[in-house]
Amino acid sequence: MSEEIKKEKFYCVFGIGEREFLIPKDSVVQILDITRIFPIPGSPDYIVGALPVRGKIIPAIDLAKIFNIERLGYSDNKLLVVEAKGEKLGILSDITPFFVSFDPDIVVEDFIDPDKLFDQLKVNSKKNSEKSNA
Amino acid sequence: MLSNSELIRYFLLEAEDYVNTLVEGVEELESKGFDKETVESLFRATHTLKGSASIVKLEKITLLAHKLEDLFEALLNKEIEYEDTFLGYIKKVINSIVNLINEVSTFGVEKSELDKELVDIIDDILEKKEIPLKSEIASTIEVLPVTNTVRIDLELIENILTSLGEILVQKNTLTDKERELLEIIEEISHSGKRLLKEITDFSDRYWLSAHESGQKVTDSFFTDFGDLQFDRYDEYHILLRKVQEITNDISESMKSLLSFSENLSLSFKSISREINYLKDNLVEIRMIPAGKLLHRLAEATRDIAEKAGKIVEVEIRGAEIKVDKPVFDSLYEPIIQIIRNAIQHGIELPEERIEKGKEKTGKVKIEFAKEGKNINIEIKDDGRGIDLEKVKETAIERGIISSDRIPYLTREEILSFIFAPGFSTSEQTDYLSGRGMGLNIVKTAISKLKGTIEVFSESDKETTFRIKIPQSLSISTLLVFRSSKLEYAVPINYVEEILSLEDFPDAVKEKIINHKNRSIQVKLFSEIFFSSNGKKLEKGYIIIFNFSGIRRGLVVEEVLGHEETTINSFGKFLEGLTQYLGYFISGKGIPRYVIDPLKIYEEEFVLTPSYAAFIEPISYKGAVLVVDDSISVRKSLQNILESKKIRVYTAKDGNEALNVLENKNVDLIITDLEMPIMHGYELITRIRKDPRYRDLPIVVLTSRGTKKHEEKALSLGADGYIVKPFDDKTISQLLIKFELIKDTF
Repeated sequence: MSEEIKKEKFYCVFGIGEREFLIPKDSVVQILDITRIFPIPGSPDYIVGALPVRGKIIPAIDLAKIFNIERLGYSDNKLLVVEAKGEKLGILSDITPFFVSFDPDIVVEDFIDPDKLFDQLKVNSKKNSEKSNA
Repeated sequence: MLSNSELIRYFLLEAEDYVNTLVEGVEELESKGFDKETVESLFRATHTLKGSASIVKLEKITLLAHKLEDLFEALLNKEIEYEDTFLGYIKKVINSIVNLINEVSTFGVEKSELDKELVDIIDDILEKKEIPLKSEIASTIEVLPVTNTVRIDLELIENILTSLGEILVQKNTLTDKERELLEIIEEISHSGKRLLKEITDFSDRYWLSAHESGQKVTDSFFTDFGDLQFDRYDEYHILLRKVQEITNDISESMKSLLSFSENLSLSFKSISREINYLKDNLVEIRMIPAGKLLHRLAEATRDIAEKAGKIVEVEIRGAEIKVDKPVFDSLYEPIIQIIRNAIQHGIELPEERIEKGKEKTGKVKIEFAKEGKNINIEIKDDGRGIDLEKVKETAIERGIISSDRIPYLTREEILSFIFAPGFSTSEQTDYLSGRGMGLNIVKTAISKLKGTIEVFSESDKETTFRIKIPQSLSISTLLVFRSSKLEYAVPINYVEEILSLEDFPDAVKEKIINHKNRSIQVKLFSEIFFSSNGKKLEKGYIIIFNFSGIRRGLVVEEVLGHEETTINSFGKFLEGLTQYLGYFISGKGIPRYVIDPLKIYEEEFVLTPSYAAFIEPISYKGAVLVVDDSISVRKSLQNILESKKIRVYTAKDGNEALNVLENKNVDLIITDLEMPIMHGYELITRIRKDPRYRDLPIVVLTSRGTKKHEEKALSLGADGYIVKPFDDKTISQLLIKFELIKDTF
């Protein structure tokens, strides 16, 4: 992971429970106040729901479920919208995300690569049969 | 057979295309000089034009097209050398053709005389004679347009349709807002009226009491004018007057507000109407008359009939019905497949028909009809029909259905087995029909168009295939409903009826209703999507779906109406949620998830292509029963297990699991803990109580990660405990542990 980090200098910091994570600043699209999240039935438990923004929905992901973080109540929730693989994903943050910069040589911990996150959390598809008849 | 005038209509539809190709080709020759590819396309266009014109006996067009065809062929074969001077003559011939086509379109016949001189010149060119260089045939001849048409790039139409989709969404928002506005106005007007009444009442009382307190004068004429003290302007009085005046003003304003809002509503209504009109027109731009397809179909049918040694007459109706371009493009194959089946397996040989007392000539009828936003296509043949008993036998033989289920199936449901993969009732197989795979492909193609297909048949009399597809693919009409505070929609083309739950009080409990002499299985939407118990449901609706002849019901709490909109896709991240087709955002900013109704029932459908496993029986290494209320867990587990050649049975709750256990041999159970009706703990307890299953391994797969639950499960008799999420590796290890597969690492 370290060679990717070297290119990054600016990060966005967001928090879940007591922990903080870094994500490349370039991937951040916007930070939204969470007004109302609509659950998507049938989705994995880490997808809290969908937030409608300008005629489209952004899936909201709770990383607490992924990293097994205990949370002391939902307090100041924000949705950090990042772009990964050309799509917008929302990550729940318990703090208002802020930007920091580090020297390129410093190896940061708790770094999150949006594209990898995308692949890891992408809802499993089950289509395997229909292709043969196409 | 088709009447000539009808055939001419189809010819005209086609001819326009060919002429356009000719015009484009000639323009290209003009600018670029000789080009093999261009001449080839010109050759093809003239060839088909000649063919089509000869079918409808338009002799002059046939002759002219034929001459051009010869010329292009000679050029292609290098029999003659291309010269720019040819171009003028070619254009002249094209002009004559266009002229004739326009005449046919207006009068139905070719009117003008054939230009003999021109034909001779072409002949001369072909025979490599000297061409008389006539000055009047300049290369600047403009080619006449065919009637009043413009060619538009498809992409442009796509763009317009996309923004139209957005406009429709905005329009829906506006309509919602208008409704809100009307509500507010109503509220204001209600409060206004109350205020007015209070003030009026009060002032009436005030004046009255003022009267009474005064002298007892009976003649008001004198009192009003005589007693000045009575008309005294104290503060009270002034205030009351003012309030009264203001109230009158408000009441006037209210009246104008009302009439204003009425006008606004009218404007809204007319703009809605205009937008709808615009939409219909725009959608139609991309549409192609079915007639264009029918011409090709008629020709192919003749070929098939000839090869099969059968005499067939094709009747075509509804050629003017228009179909969306993408739908049009994907319709030819499925329809020709059905016709192929009809001719090869349906229609008998001429001798056999005579023996049966039928007419020697078999009939195939293709009919296009518009029904609301849908197109119905009916393909009917008067052949031997489908043998229901044979369908049953084959279905059982191929493992599509177990024999004990047969008595519960309706005639329609049995007939629909012919769409199952690998099904064929005809003993003979041939390359063209491809061993009965044909109808499965037809169904898949129709499903891709969001359509349905049904089959009806009467033995020795007829077989009818009825295809129903939406007229346009870009804008869908959806039925919107609400369940557990969320809003959903389903494509309306699957919906046959909506019934009130009150008329079927047992539907929730029995999960089956009797309606119009059919027993229809019913599911509760809230149970499937939230695994909540629907017991409390008293009011609600049953949506009846018709999936190509199979009817199923879905109980929902509230139906919100229907809406026309474009469906957004969920994107790559959420594409695994295959129970949804996509979503759209309502006027109030609430996402509405569009459900794929087929997915709700797919587990019990034997007809979906995913049951391909039935065609070639796989030797399974073992059988696992998966018990989980979440369909996504069931499906993903099933996928992983099946990839390891494990037979998978699924159940939604403990109760279902016990039923499966009664009927199937199971080597391992993987169960969730939290489930409706019967939860995991109870399931484990019950299984362990049964001596037959004392040693059957049970593994708990749950999201409850605490030690307490694990201990409880193990103490009840579970053999393993896995905390979600799981992956391929976890499951592999599990299978190895219980010796269903061997360790391959």
